[in-house]
Amino acid sequence: MSDPLSTLSPQTAWEPLPKAQWDESAARHLLQRIGFSATPAALVQAQHDGLGATLDRAFARMPDFPPPKGITDLRADLPALVESIRGTEGAEKRRARQRARERSREALADLTLAWLKHASRLENSIAEKWLLFLQDIWVVGSDKVKNTILIHQHQDILRRHALGSEVALAKAVSRSPAMIVYLDLQESKPKAPNENFARELFELFTLGEGHYTENDIKQAARAFTGYRQRLGEFIEARRQHDTGRKTVFGHTGSYNGDGIIDLAFRQPAAGTFLPREMARFYLTDAPLPGAHLAVLGAWWAGHDYDLRQLTLRFFGSRLFFAPEFRGNYIKSPVQFYLGLLQDLDLQVMPVPRYVIGALRQMGQMPFNPPNVRGWVGGRAWINSTTLAARRQVVNGLLRPINTEALNADERHALERAQQESSVRFSRDEAWFEQWASRPDAELTAQLLALAQPSPPSTELAGQIAAFVRNSGEYRATTVRAALAALLESPGYQLC
Amino acid sequence: MGKPTPYLPFTRREFLRFSSRGIGLLAFSRVAPGFLVESVAAQAPAPEKDRTILVLIQLAGGNDGLNTVVPYADPHYRRLRPTLGIAADQLVKIDDRLALHTACAPLHRLLQEGKLGIVQNVGYPNPNRSHFRSTEIWETAAASTQTLPTGWLGRYFDNACPGAPDPDPCGVNISHELPQSFLSEHDHPTFSLSPQPRGGRAGRDNLPLLESLLAHSPDDHGNAGYLRHTMMDALVTEKRFQKILADYSAGAEYPATPFAGSLRNVAALVAAGTATRVYYVSLTGFDTHSNQPGTHAHLLRQLSEGLAAFQHDLETKRLDGQVLTMTFSEFGRRPSENESRGTDHGTSAPLFVMGPRVKAGLHGTAPNLAVDRNQDLEFSTDFRQVYATVLDRWLGCDSARILGTGHRTLGFL
Repeated sequence: MSDPLSTLSPQTAWEPLPKAQWDESAARHLLQRIGFSATPAALVQAQHDGLGATLDRAFARMPDFPPPKGITDLRADLPALVESIRGTEGAEKRRARQRARERSREALADLTLAWLKHASRLENSIAEKWLLFLQDIWVVGSDKVKNTILIHQHQDILRRHALGSEVALAKAVSRSPAMIVYLDLQESKPKAPNENFARELFELFTLGEGHYTENDIKQAARAFTGYRQRLGEFIEARRQHDTGRKTVFGHTGSYNGDGIIDLAFRQPAAGTFLPREMARFYLTDAPLPGAHLAVLGAWWAGHDYDLRQLTLRFFGSRLFFAPEFRGNYIKSPVQFYLGLLQDLDLQVMPVPRYVIGALRQMGQMPFNPPNVRGWVGGRAWINSTTLAARRQVVNGLLRPINTEALNADERHALERAQQESSVRFSRDEAWFEQWASRPDAELTAQLLALAQPSPPSTELAGQIAAFVRNSGEYRATTVRAALAALLESPGYQLC
Repeated sequence: MGKPTPYLPFTRREFLRFSSRGIGLLAFSRVAPGFLVESVAAQAPAPEKDRTILVLIQLAGGNDGLNTVVPYADPHYRRLRPTLGIAADQLVKIDDRLALHTACAPLHRLLQEGKLGIVQNVGYPNPNRSHFRSTEIWETAAASTQTLPTGWLGRYFDNACPGAPDPDPCGVNISHELPQSFLSEHDHPTFSLSPQPRGGRAGRDNLPLLESLLAHSPDDHGNAGYLRHTMMDALVTEKRFQKILADYSAGAEYPATPFAGSLRNVAALVAAGTATRVYYVSLTGFDTHSNQPGTHAHLLRQLSEGLAAFQHDLETKRLDGQVLTMTFSEFGRRPSENESRGTDHGTSAPLFVMGPRVKAGLHGTAPNLAVDRNQDLEFSTDFRQVYATVLDRWLGCDSARILGTGHRTLGFL
């Protein structure tokens, strides 16, 4: 058993988990929290390798994610699309604009599906969840950034810096065309600096509320004037940049944007901000004690804000494995969906309407957080609507696809995907027949092993056993109902 | 056990029938949501039908008050809004000083019919210009120097709902997130409807087992307990609500916008006699930092046409006397426009109150526009005075218990 948080002093909390505490339960906790699931094979491997080696491998490098076809196509056609809008007037212009928007929407659906598919591969999951976390901090959203090329490029910028220095990441993000559009830098100029980016840089990206003044924002906004983007290219409009002296956090100088970012990362609050957000995203709804965060924050600032070092320290610490953090965290919709695919050994169905629709109903669109704060998470994921959507996802994955309900394009995409390899997008009757041929006790045990993250209570096991025992002649149907109920129940919503 | 537990009782009546068949209150006390058990145990009377209802409309992002209720005759307005200022002939006039944006013409008609009030220049001291913090201040009714863990409507539920014998949720929100306003100290049933039309239905053959798993789960604390209770309440309420919405025949034509669709659903639930006292509907997109005119007009049109259809529907059904509708936004926008044909985060703004029992016309005082470039408006009515008025004079709940003392009520009710 690991130490409860109350016995971990701010100093000991961040020490590596003692080897003796690295058991199956700890491995399950780690894999479910830093990835999307803990499959039996991954559990065996992690226990065999040890905690240090597991983390080293998981955060060694970010996986390549080649731009999907929707993005490369749109990139190729962008000049022509822009020209068709520029060169026309009136109704024709409106139609051209509508066509461009439609193309961008299609590209967004393609990007979303391609990323989900990529992230669902076990070897990519941990790094892609880390990227999702960074996207939840350095937020841009497709509702406002209507050009999907920029959305993809922004994720790519985060991917390139995801395991390097956060200072470099911040500077790269300030030049991200998507960010320039999302937080209104595009028209910010000396005469009228737009404060949106400067405000969120301090409030939501690096320091948190209470660690800056309104005047810091006003002055910092001047340093980011002249940041422009044109067709996804960052441009520094020198004549639109305010070169004058600015006073931010008590320092005066003719800072540019990078200078302001350096100043922000010299604030003590910069060290604790991201660890606090990591705890919220990965570990617990309740904030960690300030004293514990301060120790990690000072250490991280001393390590040049290196993100890889931070992941190894944070996820390998005694605090991360404290018993009060085990098995009580509500899965995000993305984790719920991708974890289900991994647990059931299924792949992302290549039908955007189904997959993206399900994520929207569950309350999480991967490239479109509700606002610049990102997703609140925790209990905010759960209400009657999102629960109904989660149940619907489970049921969809446990039934054969009704191809009658698909349009021709979707059927074509499905057939093409099935030709590529022997992939499965949902479980059919034959799979449940195999389960049904097993004796009651074995069947019950396997159902519970698949769907219950922690050892089940005797009461729960008893209920499943009774349900299975009374299956009668439609045993495969009973197996499906039992599995569905287990995957919909509160136990499976937690990790 | 011999066979799966039957479906959860659908209604209070069904619950009573199950109980009378000898299945027993105790057997159900772990299956059924708390309110059903309490209601039977207390032999409480059926809910009265003439209760007052509040429909709260969130204009998320910060609505530009100056281009909603326009001080068209004030020369300062032209000075502050050289390009965004709306010409006098493009407005619907309230009096010789103020006018509504043309997109608000349906609201103007309601004003003339005596059903719409405008509370001017509403804000709070030491304004915060962060969306999230300012939304939090409005939703929790906190001072800007204070953080409160509960919402103002959640505290109202705490005071008005405990032990209430209703099978219906205290609050229903039609928004993507549970509003912070609903956060309460005690657990109350609230229900979220999706702003988007719903897809296919989930499978039914596993419901009995799921209900039994929920009933017999040992976890009753933390997130596990929260999930369990939310799921049980949701299963019971969902069955009923879906039927109500599907069967509803509206008494007015609603525009084909998701916002109007949400209001139609509110009308359906009110018309069905649902005991819910508070509905919360969100309209988003008001954060108009650049190219404001088209976006803002489009949003105001959605708002006005939706509200007018909703009011008409309620009138046709003779339910309008029961319903008060009120808008709010986390802040207004800066009086001086920015260089991107937009406006930045500001402070105070007007809000609308609608219903036949509202004292129509203007309330409070208009903001003083003699401000420097990039200076903000000084509020003249505190938003907690608006809440206090609604609590005391509409919901019949002592506002001091929800907001603390010292918030003078206003004359709009």
